[in-house]
Amino acid sequence: MTARHVMVQALRSMHRYKLRTFFMMLGSFVGVAALTFVVSVAQGSVSGLVRMVKQTVGDGGIVIAAGGSRIGGGAHAGAMRLTIDDAAAVAHEVPGIDAWDSQAELRETIRHGDVTTMARVLGGSERWSRAWGRRVSRGETFGAAAVAGASRDALIGETVARRIFPNADPVGGEIHIGAVPFRVIGVLESFGTDMHGTDRDNEIVVPLTTLMRRLSNRDAITAAKFVASDPAQQDDVAAAMRRVLRARHKLDRDQTNDFMVLTSSGMLRNVGVFERIALLYVPLVGGVVLLVGGIVAATLMLASVNERVAEIGLRRAVGARPDDIRRQFLAETAATVVVGGVGGVVVGLLGVQLAATRFPLETTVSWAAVGISIVSSIVVGLLAGVVPAHRAARLRPADALR
Amino acid sequence: MIELLGIGKSYTRTALETVRALRDVSLSIDRGEFVAIVGPSGSGKSTLMNVLGLLDDPSDGRYLFDGKDVSALGAVEQARFRNARVGFVFQAFHLLARTSALENVELPLLYSNDQHIDGRAARALEAVGLADRMQHTPSELSGGEQQRVAIARALVNEPDLLLADEPTGNLDVQAATEIMRILLSLNGAGRTIVLVTHDPTTAAYARRIIRLEHGRVAEDRRVSALVAK
Repeated sequence: MTARHVMVQALRSMHRYKLRTFFMMLGSFVGVAALTFVVSVAQGSVSGLVRMVKQTVGDGGIVIAAGGSRIGGGAHAGAMRLTIDDAAAVAHEVPGIDAWDSQAELRETIRHGDVTTMARVLGGSERWSRAWGRRVSRGETFGAAAVAGASRDALIGETVARRIFPNADPVGGEIHIGAVPFRVIGVLESFGTDMHGTDRDNEIVVPLTTLMRRLSNRDAITAAKFVASDPAQQDDVAAAMRRVLRARHKLDRDQTNDFMVLTSSGMLRNVGVFERIALLYVPLVGGVVLLVGGIVAATLMLASVNERVAEIGLRRAVGARPDDIRRQFLAETAATVVVGGVGGVVVGLLGVQLAATRFPLETTVSWAAVGISIVSSIVVGLLAGVVPAHRAARLRPADALR
Repeated sequence: MIELLGIGKSYTRTALETVRALRDVSLSIDRGEFVAIVGPSGSGKSTLMNVLGLLDDPSDGRYLFDGKDVSALGAVEQARFRNARVGFVFQAFHLLARTSALENVELPLLYSNDQHIDGRAARALEAVGLADRMQHTPSELSGGEQQRVAIARALVNEPDLLLADEPTGNLDVQAATEIMRILLSLNGAGRTIVLVTHDPTTAAYARRIIRLEHGRVAEDRRVSALVAK
């Protein structure tokens, strides 16, 4: 019997016993779909996260955020205690820092004419561009004089520009942030969505002095950004920063930090932990599903052998060798499991596409996951077929035909 | 063509009970004969047919086919022997369900190395009068038609020997008569046929009747004239 005949017979049997074939396929289908989906999504998320960390903090970037153990959200303990002086002292006392800037932020209503929107308003010095690695795409940024004079100059993000200047060039236009009038002097380069899902183009940057005196009336900052001259040293630099800040805030040994120091290397380490969980443990679960599917397939195939004893006897009577029978049942099991697996790949990839339209995901199809899924379903299919095929091949023709 | 020398067959049913289905059976069948093996239930008829078709190994004795000892063949040679030299017809038809008549008849061809199989299955179906039923599945065929498909399948590799185990057992009288006429004409064309039956009417078609009792040949007689039907 040629390989082609074996496959044709296997496909005919699958067609003949549709319900059994369906249930046999289900296990490998679900396992492989889960495997493909999760690994693709995880890989997409990881590469997206890595990109966002680089974009947010940058290589060698260190961010000090006000308040302990939380980023963003409402007011919490210590949030008001970080000051420009703290940031300046850190920049002065810790060696190995190239550039730095402090930042304060608030949410405010933005108005141009009778169009209003809500946006995040950030305050920075003339060094914000260098420290945060952001630029303007149109117009110009503000300089040291503007910061010293607390001038009402604003750089607006693309989303803000689109909302309040739908058909006009925003540069030179006048806007109100809360009740205070500002002049738009530049448009920020598009940033996209950050790792929290926040639209970072719905932002406005103004001089920090202006924000503190005219908008927030507070002298606390929310964050400070530092760029280490040697990215490899950033963990040491961060440790030194913690010591300086703890001393300035007079924290006792048993008191926790009222600030957070985030480094790009530390954030990438967290991404790495997520990546390990996503790429090791989740596929493991998919593999277990596949294994269970294989056991189900083996059991159903064994039942099928018992049900088809007469067919096996007849095939033996018309000249099938034990090996022909073995191959037939092996091929039938494997083909069923693999078809289920291929269906799982297709549905898994469709799932990735669907997820990508609803969540900020990179739609990288993990061909490694597809390959692993198909190979493992072939292996599972063959293994599932071994016992039933052996049982079928061992039947004595006279007994099988009784 | 067939020579059985002291064939015995024992089954171990339990540790204590051994059934001796065949005891010291010796007989020879010539090419072109039409033999009916008859006897009551448990007399060893089916066991004898299984031994003749190499579906079961004898416990004792020798089986010569065309002078060659086939009782000691391995599983692969046995399969090749069944494929090329023996055609089987069973009481229960044993057609593959949800599979067309043509594909059922093609089944033995799958297991032969002969590459010139085009049209042979169709010709075999035409020979049993089912030219217009080739794409029908067993459930769409009557019992008699199903058994004719089975006969076509048995003949597709043009075997020397046709073994029929109660071929009319599941059929009504009319269909049974039809099947026996086909077997008769096949025999008339030179095919060697061994038929197992407990039905005297069916046995009456044969030209030689071998009666088994308790696993032994109790009677072996030739019937000179054909029963005219």
